[in-house]
Amino acid sequence: MANFDLKDRAAIVGVGNSLFGRRLMRSPIDLACDAIVNALDDAGLTKRQLDGLIVSFGSPIGADADTLAQVLGLELRTYNQTWAHGRFTASCIQWAAMLVNAGLANAVACLAAVSFSGLRRPMMGGSGDREGAREAGGGHGEDPVYGMTSPGAGAALVARRYFERYGCGNRELAAVPIAFRKHASKNPAAIMRDVFDVDDYQRSRFVCEPLHLLDYCLINDGASCVIVTTSERARDCRKAPVYISGMQGLPAGRDEFIWAYPGLGVAQQRSFDYQAGLQPVYQMAGITPHDVDGLFTYDAFSILVWIALERWGFCKPGEAASFTQEGRIELGGELPMNTNGGLLSEGHIMGWNHQVEIVRQLRGECGERQIQQAEIIQWANAYGDSLIYHR
Amino acid sequence: MAETQYQKPLPAISSLNKPFWDALKNRELRLQKCDKCGLIWYPPAPLCPDCWARKFTWVQLSGRGRVNSWVVFHQSYFKGFDDELPYNVAEVELDEGPRLLTNLVDIPNDQIRAGLRVEITFEDVTSDITLAKFRPIEIRRS
Repeated sequence: MANFDLKDRAAIVGVGNSLFGRRLMRSPIDLACDAIVNALDDAGLTKRQLDGLIVSFGSPIGADADTLAQVLGLELRTYNQTWAHGRFTASCIQWAAMLVNAGLANAVACLAAVSFSGLRRPMMGGSGDREGAREAGGGHGEDPVYGMTSPGAGAALVARRYFERYGCGNRELAAVPIAFRKHASKNPAAIMRDVFDVDDYQRSRFVCEPLHLLDYCLINDGASCVIVTTSERARDCRKAPVYISGMQGLPAGRDEFIWAYPGLGVAQQRSFDYQAGLQPVYQMAGITPHDVDGLFTYDAFSILVWIALERWGFCKPGEAASFTQEGRIELGGELPMNTNGGLLSEGHIMGWNHQVEIVRQLRGECGERQIQQAEIIQWANAYGDSLIYHR
Repeated sequence: MAETQYQKPLPAISSLNKPFWDALKNRELRLQKCDKCGLIWYPPAPLCPDCWARKFTWVQLSGRGRVNSWVVFHQSYFKGFDDELPYNVAEVELDEGPRLLTNLVDIPNDQIRAGLRVEITFEDVTSDITLAKFRPIEIRRS
């Protein structure tokens, strides 16, 4: 038991997005300002009450934290940024929850902002991708010497391994992007809103086989922000707080590969039968996966949804292919997922757009795509970190 | 004879991986083996990732393994690969344990299968660099 128990001690009190789009021709800083201003307004807080900032996917591709503080005339007591990788959403919110409870900040804005306008190959694979060429291999399994490049290729390697190990394929995987596009069709902010079927999916071109174009997230422009403060202060804000009741950090090591759970046997992972057990995030929150009303996950590639479902124990290894059929992960299904449309269809704001949607779901603000009686929603990822929120 | 310009990315040689690339140049596949616990690992490290022993030996491996997973690129990200689309990248699990990314040669992409037995073949791409590619091990007919 931690001697610094954070269960229900921090809350999200404000959320805000910029416009999302593919050719907004506005910079990350420009878009980030919209998201921060909208989130503060949503919380009913003033600029002076914001004294902490954590930028996810920061410099050199996203919004730089120093510059943001300058441009917005903030007076920060503490700030930080993660380098330009997408997966640190939960980490940033966890750090913010710790900061406010440790008395190092009153309210912390956590955000990501990206702008890929006009760039055809925006540093995600290829010769401009310095991260993909880093010492001892890129963060997504890149090895440019053999043409292995881009985050999607690492996901394709996992998909092929999964298909071979469990005997399934694209026909089953199609259910994931189809479900999230249906959700996006009910979301006016989503970039891609036209629904498609399994035949459309199969006809979409391969990017890195076995993944089709429709297995890939969007590359776009936009920003999303959430404001974290203590639960005590949260009760004085404009809207009902959304509490953080469980947290689990981002794991790393030789049995981890960014897009796979331990045991799947990709990169240098040992190959064994993974067992989820009851993960620490549930123990902290005092719930089990059965209590979750909605699940959100980092769906940069559709296969990550299967990996996440199995990693967190919503189904056993090899079962996600059947679990995701027949509308089970759609609105009205047993476990609605990524009701905003996800990175696959709403937009790729590094998972921060998902945090905004989770808060809106728990406040009952989602209209046509509202999860009925949503009380507990989880953010849980293929790469092993999680947050559990409740209203 | 003038060397034609090699267009694909070349490895970044570091203090850690230089013995690996030097060995390939000599037509040998070598990885580090811990003198204390016997682990063979990849990528190269300054100490054994398991027991942190500093003493290890760059041992020569069999060069044989099996296909663990693979992908086929239909989109080009590097100019040097433009003419080879669609090209494969395979993850080969060596008989000694570690997995290497590579390209499979002497096999059409649609014939690649998980578990396929493969062996190393060395490809000199510049005067300094030799790559480790893999090809199917031919099954002798009885």
